[in-house]
Amino acid sequence: MADLLLSYIALAMILFSIGFLGIISRKNIFIVYMSIELMLNAVNLIFVALGRYNESMEPQVMAMIIIAIAAAEAAVFLSLIVVLYRNKKSLNSDIFNVLKQKDTANG
Amino acid sequence: MVDIIFLGLAIFAIGGGFGMILFSQPMHSAISLIVTLISLGGIFALLSAPFLFMVQIILYAGAIITLLLFIIMFLNIRDDELPDEPNKNITIIIGAILLIPFNILILKAFNTFPEKSMNILGKDFGSIHSFGMELFNKWLVPFELISMLLLASLVGAVVYARKDKNRDG
Repeated sequence: MADLLLSYIALAMILFSIGFLGIISRKNIFIVYMSIELMLNAVNLIFVALGRYNESMEPQVMAMIIIAIAAAEAAVFLSLIVVLYRNKKSLNSDIFNVLKQKDTANG
Repeated sequence: MVDIIFLGLAIFAIGGGFGMILFSQPMHSAISLIVTLISLGGIFALLSAPFLFMVQIILYAGAIITLLLFIIMFLNIRDDELPDEPNKNITIIIGAILLIPFNILILKAFNTFPEKSMNILGKDFGSIHSFGMELFNKWLVPFELISMLLLASLVGAVVYARKDKNRDG
């Protein structure tokens, strides 16, 4: 089982699907963030599995770069959550609607 | 032996993922996510990437998720401030059913690859030395661009988090 490429791909696809389900089903902004991290990790797993399959080091470097980008994302996203919670006292992702256009009768 | 290790790590990873999207408390979800990330680190080690295994545990589980846990504790959210999610379970079930064809498509695409043994490579495949040679020979420009990205995100985080003095004016 651990010899097959397909088992690693299947695990990565399951994790990616779990992350996607978390994004579409939860309102809590922390869970949405964690689901994004899980999807990034699933993509990393596919990179590393294909790198081992082709005996190439380049996908591992790409996975490392994805981890660094995830760190940058974490800093911005978490400071955004802190500001949001300080101003609106809520963790609901539905309050991100300040840019939504209002439907008016005569445009 | 390797099969048993892979199966155990995969079960821990999937269980942690499901725990993450099913717990209502963000603290429990973050701890489930740490379980998933450490299991994925073990799978990286099975795929002959020992340096990424180290990076996954030190940087992901040790820095990013610890920062997340710190923010969750810092905000000190009470139970009644959590958003209510009445359609959570039904959305997860319907979404899972809708995702099955997509998953089958991807797995069929990968099934056409010729079979090849994936046992752990010895020598210095994935070690720090070969990783660094790869990074600083072929990937030098992306590496430098990442330093710019980290600097920009640092500045962005500071700008977001400072107190706005001119809000009333």
